[in-house]
Amino acid sequence: MKKLLAQIKAYPYTKYILLGLVLATIPSLVYFDVLKSSYVTLVGVVMIYTIVSLGLNLLLGWSGLISLGTAGFMGLAAYISAYMTMNLKMPFEVTLIVSILIPVAISVLVGLISLRIEGLYLAIATLAVSEIFRKTFAEFEFITNGFSGKSVRYPTFFGFFKLDTTMTYLLLVVFMVVIMILIHNLINSHVGRALNAMRGSEAAAQAMGINLLKYRLLAFALATALTSTAGILYAHFIKYVEPSKWNLGLSLNILAVIIIGGVRSIIGTFVGSLVVFAVPDLVLKQIPYFGKIPNFAYIINGILIIVVILYYPAGLIRVFNDGKDAVVKLFKKSRGKTV
Amino acid sequence: MSHVQPLEKGIILSIENLSISFGGIKAVDNLSFQIKEKEIFGLIGPNGAGKTTAFNCITQFYKPNHGSIRFLSKKDVTVELNEHAVHEIIGLGLVRTFQNVELIRELSILDNVLVGAHIDYKTGLFGAMVKTRKAKKEEESLRLEAMKILQFLGIADKAMWPVGGQPYGILKKVELARTLMCAPRLIILDEPAAGLNDVETLGLADVIRTIRNEYNCAVLLVEHDMRLVMDVCDTICAINFGKFLAKGSPKEIKLNKDVQVAYLGTQEDQV
Repeated sequence: MKKLLAQIKAYPYTKYILLGLVLATIPSLVYFDVLKSSYVTLVGVVMIYTIVSLGLNLLLGWSGLISLGTAGFMGLAAYISAYMTMNLKMPFEVTLIVSILIPVAISVLVGLISLRIEGLYLAIATLAVSEIFRKTFAEFEFITNGFSGKSVRYPTFFGFFKLDTTMTYLLLVVFMVVIMILIHNLINSHVGRALNAMRGSEAAAQAMGINLLKYRLLAFALATALTSTAGILYAHFIKYVEPSKWNLGLSLNILAVIIIGGVRSIIGTFVGSLVVFAVPDLVLKQIPYFGKIPNFAYIINGILIIVVILYYPAGLIRVFNDGKDAVVKLFKKSRGKTV
Repeated sequence: MSHVQPLEKGIILSIENLSISFGGIKAVDNLSFQIKEKEIFGLIGPNGAGKTTAFNCITQFYKPNHGSIRFLSKKDVTVELNEHAVHEIIGLGLVRTFQNVELIRELSILDNVLVGAHIDYKTGLFGAMVKTRKAKKEEESLRLEAMKILQFLGIADKAMWPVGGQPYGILKKVELARTLMCAPRLIILDEPAAGLNDVETLGLADVIRTIRNEYNCAVLLVEHDMRLVMDVCDTICAINFGKFLAKGSPKEIKLNKDVQVAYLGTQEDQV
């Protein structure tokens, strides 16, 4: 066990790959009737929201910029990819690229105007953009099919390689792990330090040659790229897109993910996503009486946020670390007695 | 940049008729001085004399209303600093510290120092994300350089510690180390002795001198601690109410009537 822990420290990617491998076993567990088949969808959705939340963590956690427009951009990418594959019959590879590029281009335009303002004003500006998108999804029926929603198919690669549920699920695992590793590299590079410096002290960042507008735009664009990736995967995994999904509630849930899971923690983001998007279905709905209260999950999330901010400001991921420390301490103590 | 008049030989920074006002208050008024290469230059004055404002004008955090600030850049070209944006200044070889230490609490000391090397990185976004061999090499060599600087300042053993929670003396050193990463021509120190105890201040004087000798750069120092200024500076410029008061060696400044009046008041005031 100790060896494994040391190895994880020596090879920083190990924990992401391990997480990926564990998640990849879920479809086979379902196959052998160990888990219910709904778990594949549930965990798949958790992974999708992990990707979005990693984007927001990059923006809020590392760069110190607030956005409430996450849901709008995610929906935009979902609709573009749905329209391109279903109506235009474009290949999935092309769709993937275009559906990331268009939202990123829009976010850069929005960013150029709104990134001159900061804090709450930026939050309001991004929220407004998101609401414009949501209204657009409902009104532009010839593209979005309006409130009746739009159905999508599982992705097809190279024009003939059709994915099924399990394959699409595994595709999500690969996407999430690769993105985790890319972000890990990014935040430990000079770019990551520049983002950190921007949050820590704008004056120092400028004095050290960091162009604030450039790096704000970069953080904004990267966050949108991740949000869009998640939106595309969502559309092709759930196979259905409807306009009411992409509201402020979703943006706030994604904000809750990083606050509960861990600000500036990659694994913590996954933990938060699990808590916010899987726990309601897995645990809360099973509780007798309380489980029947509509929006019970929101109440629990609210309480969780308060508890986490009070006792674990760095997020639930700290609970694991503290637990690990406690175990190590216990281990040392018992060993000290025998020697 | 040919339109900027070249600086005389041996001069690294030349400020002419610098003025800036906030509303009706002239924070800096027609200030002129020159700094020679490898000189430790002190800028002193009573509270509110406009020292920090002058600083912020030189480093382009404020854009002055009038005057020119010419600087001999790393490439031995005379540049007009007013024509550059604030984040371009460090690339010319001019770097500063802050009065109230401006570091990133969550990062390690080493990472904080590496922020100072930001402009030296040639790796792009993609290279940083997939960690190409070139990016790895670059990171390693700059890391080594940062460790050398930390060793030079005697805090290499703390390199991996987070900055948050470190004592003030260490934080000041980390900021100093950060400025050294860009191989500067001129370092501007904003009250480096503020918050340090007597022993640390004595050590600081040595550090400033060694930096000048080892890194071949000039130092512009704004300071309230007169012992440090008198001890370490080659030339001192005194200002009051944003106006030039006197300039000379520490001895000359000590004996200057105007400076004494500015600091201690006239005899009528004291009665």
